[in-house]
Amino acid sequence: MAQDSVDLSCDYQFWMQKLSVWDQASTLETQQDTCVHLARFQEFLRKMYEALKEMDSNTIFERFPTIDQLLAKACWNPFILAYDESQKILIWCLCCLINKEPQNSRQSKLNSWVQGVLSHILSALRFDKEVALFTQGLGYAPIDYYPGLLKNVTKRVNGNISRLASLSRVCVPLITLPDVDPLVEALLVCHGHEPQEILQPEFFEAVNEAILLKKISLPMSAVVCLWLRHLPSLEKAMLHLFEKLISSERNCLRRIECFIKDSLLPQAACHPAIFRVVDEMFRCALLETDGAPEIIATIQVFTQCFLEALEKENKQLRFALKTYFPYTSPSLAMVLLQDPQDVPRGRWLQTLKHISELLREAVEDQTHGSRGGPLESWFLFIRFGGWAEMVAEQLLRSAAEPPAALLWLLAFYYSPRDGRQQRAQTMVQVKAVLGHLLAMSRSSSLSAWDLQTAAGQDTDTDPRAPAQQLIRHLLLHFVLWAPGGHTIARDVVTLLAHTAEITHEIIGFLDQTLYRWDRLGIESPRSGKLARELLKELRTQV
Amino acid sequence: MESLLQHLDRFSELLAVSRTAHVRTWDPVTVRRALQWARYLRHIHRRFGRHGPIRTALERRLHNQWRQEGGFGRGPVPGLANFQALGHGDVLLSLRLLENQALGDAARHHLVQQLFPGPGVPDADEETLQESLARLARCGSAVHMLRFNGYRKNLNLQEDSLMKTQAELLLERLQEVGKAEAEGPSRFLSRLWERLPQNNFLKVIAVALLQPPLSPRPQEESEPSIHKTPGEGSQALVHWLLGNSEVFAAFCRALPAGLLTLVTSRHPALSPVYLGLLTDWGQRLHYDLQKGIWVGTESQDVPWEELHNRFQSLCQAPPPLKDKVLTALETCKAQDGDFEVPGLSIWTDLLLALRSGAFRKRQVLGLSPGLSSV
Repeated sequence: MAQDSVDLSCDYQFWMQKLSVWDQASTLETQQDTCVHLARFQEFLRKMYEALKEMDSNTIFERFPTIDQLLAKACWNPFILAYDESQKILIWCLCCLINKEPQNSRQSKLNSWVQGVLSHILSALRFDKEVALFTQGLGYAPIDYYPGLLKNVTKRVNGNISRLASLSRVCVPLITLPDVDPLVEALLVCHGHEPQEILQPEFFEAVNEAILLKKISLPMSAVVCLWLRHLPSLEKAMLHLFEKLISSERNCLRRIECFIKDSLLPQAACHPAIFRVVDEMFRCALLETDGAPEIIATIQVFTQCFLEALEKENKQLRFALKTYFPYTSPSLAMVLLQDPQDVPRGRWLQTLKHISELLREAVEDQTHGSRGGPLESWFLFIRFGGWAEMVAEQLLRSAAEPPAALLWLLAFYYSPRDGRQQRAQTMVQVKAVLGHLLAMSRSSSLSAWDLQTAAGQDTDTDPRAPAQQLIRHLLLHFVLWAPGGHTIARDVVTLLAHTAEITHEIIGFLDQTLYRWDRLGIESPRSGKLARELLKELRTQV
Repeated sequence: MESLLQHLDRFSELLAVSRTAHVRTWDPVTVRRALQWARYLRHIHRRFGRHGPIRTALERRLHNQWRQEGGFGRGPVPGLANFQALGHGDVLLSLRLLENQALGDAARHHLVQQLFPGPGVPDADEETLQESLARLARCGSAVHMLRFNGYRKNLNLQEDSLMKTQAELLLERLQEVGKAEAEGPSRFLSRLWERLPQNNFLKVIAVALLQPPLSPRPQEESEPSIHKTPGEGSQALVHWLLGNSEVFAAFCRALPAGLLTLVTSRHPALSPVYLGLLTDWGQRLHYDLQKGIWVGTESQDVPWEELHNRFQSLCQAPPPLKDKVLTALETCKAQDGDFEVPGLSIWTDLLLALRSGAFRKRQVLGLSPGLSSV
């Protein structure tokens, strides 16, 4: 408590000085400085109010002898009065100064003074005498006509404005005032004739903040303009999304989908410039987390939302695929962009083989200075969860010899950085496991141990190695799909999940599988029920 | 229904009293009750605002009140001005009490506590009084900043937002007064003319005459039963102007030429009177041989430049106004003797000046210097 008190005194001095410099915020510099400090000043006012409301008028003046000057200066700064709740908090602070029963003339004078300041704040619609007389003569008070006046004032932006910069500055405290929305929108979409940006950065930042906190609702076109004109705002929006994803419950794709749609980023990404920035940030996140499954899942959901938005938008904007995926061959892009739902189920295998061929070609092509190498191709592929996650399932369900193309694709998906030899080895390994699984699927009784041995899962090998992860997922797919799988499911999971990390991975796998089945409508009741039960049980364990 | 109307009466009285020294006798309890009243009536407004018959009945009651006071606008409106005001009667009452110096210390302290109780649970249903007042303050600042920092000083009167707002208010009030009493608008306007600063009033009238047909106010958008006939208020204004020659003379004198041209184009009924005035002004001028210009005899006579300005502006209006003006000028010229030589008839000289002005304009614009219609 004592520390708070000291902090408050320091802050008090700081703000007193600032307010003196700002005066009535009539110059460019004072306006800019005021805008930058508005939020912090409001916080300070709140703290002051909390302190003041505990004291009576005399004590307040003993503690803060210049409080009347501080409050008065704040009240004479129109930016402060116009911002968010500052005017309300100022009024509360002023009310604390009133003496309930004034005992001398000084206290009475103080009461009158507070009275005057309150009137000043509340009669902020000050005009020339003539106008005031006119409106009063008609029987109107400011409360009657201020919405209409504000509307007329904001409408004018569609006319001739030569002071866009100062207008944007003046709008900064007003962003969360609904009456000013049309003006904000007009400012965002207006095209100046200058090559450089004329609107103030504080304006963009304030609008962006309001959008992220849902304190303003603007049409999509305005939001896109904002993000195109002010890159830091777009980056902030992405970071805001990441923060939300990190702080929310792990491994729940439904929730992730909600957050993503809510962020307006998929719709905005229909504009290629925005798509590229978003893409780059996802790429960085992937690299930094070394391909964490949660990030991959997020990217997949984002791409899905993006494609849905693109579908809707396509009537207005038509950008060639190349603008979104400049480093990809058009044929590959077109195949990947197909929604599995739109392809007959019988052709899924064929499509995956085709994808594999095209990808392999891109990955193994080192002669023409392929851009980015295998990682670039991998980054492209992992986006399309509909196909990427389907490979293992398709392999398991075909009773015939597993196609080499699919084996390659699976190995590539789980470890893109492998050299040819390593990958070939993995393919052999997977083929063997598949063979065993096929054999076991025909037997009447299954045991978890057998399964694990067949899969070559030893406790000696590094469980985090991609091949291990691949095989784990194969086993889980098997358990969910095979007729006898449900009997050994829990045992298998127990055997596999010997660290917390792997448990999380399995939860992620189950959540993702259910999400995909739901979307594509390919769930069999038995598998779905099993998966849901397993998921529920595992979630309670972590 | 009757009790509702009585509530309305009583609240209107309350509002009227809140401005007077009578509040000296009010104690905290009175203040609290008054605010509760206001809040109750706010609910009434919300509940019955959309209910056609009840709303009409309430409005009629107010109109009756006006009649009893000798017509609307006899003085600063003391009580409730209209039905909409009920929607924020609490704000009206609060502000009047706050500004009333006669209110005692204890009552005032209580008032302030009631108005600004501090942070609390916000009412999910409707805006609290505290929120309304804070919003008013915020919007006031917004208007102030946007007008003085954001926009270039506007030269066109009809585009000035403050002028537009005053014009909208005038038209709205005229419409209501028209509903209350048939003769209402004209008498009302005459009363305003006597009481209000005339220069501003004239400007507002001009801007009002240029407004597009009145659309419902934001608060009323949800009430389609109120049908606003386009231009009702404008019609009342024109009617009044035509019936008051001295007002109209002041109107034509005070306002800039371009604005008057726009007004006259929009309201053709005004053009004969306007032209009549212009001819009267013209006839008062005589030619000063020494100076070689047309001058007036008295100081309040309209000088040549202004006369020329106005005619020039009128000649740039679209037909039929333009044609009417030219016809009038030709007629006057003929009546004067149909001279072609300058210095004998002001009408000849005006026509000459207008033609040469038009000729120069055509040259500047690169048009052929052939026979122009002027």
